[in-house]
Amino acid sequence: MSFFLDNYGFLLVTVVQQALLGLSIYFPLMAGQLSLASIGFYSLGGYVAAIMGTHPYFAPWREALGFCIYPVQWFFALVLGVVLGVAVGYPALRLRGIYLALATVAFVQVVNVAVLNMPIAGGAVGIFGIPQAFESRVDYIWFFGPLFLIAMLLVRRVGTVGAGLPFFAVREDELAAGAMGVPTTRTKITAFVLGCALAAVTGAMSAPFLNTWNARQGTFDASVTCLAYVLIGGSRSMWGPLFGAALLVSLPELLRPLKDSRMILNGVVLVAACVYLPRGIMGGLGGALAVLRARAAKSQGGPA
Amino acid sequence: MEPAWLLQCLLNGLSIGAVYAVFAMGYTLVFSILGIINFAHGAVFTLGAYLTYALSVGHFGINGLLADVSLPATLPFFPALIVGSLLAGLAGMGVERLAFKPLRDRGADPLLALVSSLGVALIVVNLIQYLVGAEIYSFPADIFGNLPMAVIFKIGGKPVAVRTIQIILFAASLVMLAGLGWFISRTRGGKALLATAENPDTASLLGISVNRFILGTFFISGLLGGLSGTLIGASFGISGPYFGVAYGLKGLAVIVLGGLGSIPGAVAGGLVIGLGEALLPADMSSYKEAVAFVLLFAILLIRPQGLLGGRLEQKV
Repeated sequence: MSFFLDNYGFLLVTVVQQALLGLSIYFPLMAGQLSLASIGFYSLGGYVAAIMGTHPYFAPWREALGFCIYPVQWFFALVLGVVLGVAVGYPALRLRGIYLALATVAFVQVVNVAVLNMPIAGGAVGIFGIPQAFESRVDYIWFFGPLFLIAMLLVRRVGTVGAGLPFFAVREDELAAGAMGVPTTRTKITAFVLGCALAAVTGAMSAPFLNTWNARQGTFDASVTCLAYVLIGGSRSMWGPLFGAALLVSLPELLRPLKDSRMILNGVVLVAACVYLPRGIMGGLGGALAVLRARAAKSQGGPA
Repeated sequence: MEPAWLLQCLLNGLSIGAVYAVFAMGYTLVFSILGIINFAHGAVFTLGAYLTYALSVGHFGINGLLADVSLPATLPFFPALIVGSLLAGLAGMGVERLAFKPLRDRGADPLLALVSSLGVALIVVNLIQYLVGAEIYSFPADIFGNLPMAVIFKIGGKPVAVRTIQIILFAASLVMLAGLGWFISRTRGGKALLATAENPDTASLLGISVNRFILGTFFISGLLGGLSGTLIGASFGISGPYFGVAYGLKGLAVIVLGGLGSIPGAVAGGLVIGLGEALLPADMSSYKEAVAFVLLFAILLIRPQGLLGGRLEQKV
């Protein structure tokens, strides 16, 4: 067991961390909104934690709070995520489909340029030597694990309880939902802000995990990778982000012996997954299950 | 504001804006037919620059698989530019066959094409890195033969400099845009293209081979991408295999600014963003990369259909 943890523990934690980013895209997608803003909030949340963890101004805080500085960092990241999420979401969510996606891409790029120009964020070099919360990287599962559980419970609640059904109503048909009295704007903003807040807290937890933080954490490629977790995992299942992240994070590790050509194969995997699993892993599993059930029903002589 | 400074900014903005317009047109053509953004366009842009470099210089640096390989013969810059762009057009067709057609055939969610085209972009960009390394490549200073580096004239006693490459950027872009305009509005092929964009089903009933026209559109789109990549590369150098990413995103800002799917809009958007970047005061130059995206965000909030786009209709 310890051999396994030594070798694959870091990978497991990374899968959960990336699955959280996938979930942050899944939230707005539940209400039918394609947003790529998550990675910008992830980057900002990470900077909150990195600055609070290293800047001399916060030295008294760190001494006074000890380990409790970490939850305080998450809290500040959460507040930033919610406030900025509402500020960006309110105007941007008037847009639909590809327009919203492009507006959020623009947001991510502006965040990137702004961060590069802020002296407190360390410019292009970024911030390093962020104090570690645990001795071993594997222990960070105590950060990401509970957050993942909370996020999944939220998704479940939103998807099964009355309060959540508006999400799906807006996804299926916004105009009809509005006509039925669903507050569409509020629903869309709730979904969007949930994703932003989750991404910001994930970022705040990731800064100590990764030890350094810089503008490369918030690139456009990274935001499409998060979208890929959801789409390849299965965009209509709450387990999709986890399965997608597990596949796309572990595959490059397995391909590590290939060294330089590894990234090329990464692209091949993305294309192949889109072509052969158009409904994602969960969708594919669901389809296979349905076929098996139909066969079983047939062999029992029941109606196929 | 001094007239000389203003004129200098306008000239700089027009030349770079014209290239943005050519590049963004590649997005527009694909979007108007498929209603989807081709995220591999930035990679084709990069590929075009590298192909022209290979054809006109003949060998690469010390890193990568092709370190010791050199071409038996090289081309002068302009023929290399044309051949490189044509090859980039073929690469564009490859993108369609790999990332778009299989998904269309299977009736997959159009959103997936964003991911699959990005996958193709990853393949192309990392293949370039694998083959020729990640270093910066600059075209040699004498690629234009013995043309002077710049033309300098004076306005009100202040010098205004126009670099030769800027004139070439502007002229090549104008030729390309004019050629495209002629093709679309004056030829049967262009008309068929517009018909396919209007409604693929009706077009196919009228005897237009839709798949062939989609393939042709990707060829033109790749050609425009490769051409603009080479022009930018010749002007600022090729700063590694990822140099197309930033331009790829900026191109998105251009088409949204002008109006998604609108051909004149792509030209207007390119010029507005080129001029916007050029007119940014010198002490704010580190924010230059944000200009396009601030403009994009602003236009989406004020006028989501873009400067020249038609009304957005709400589907009921």
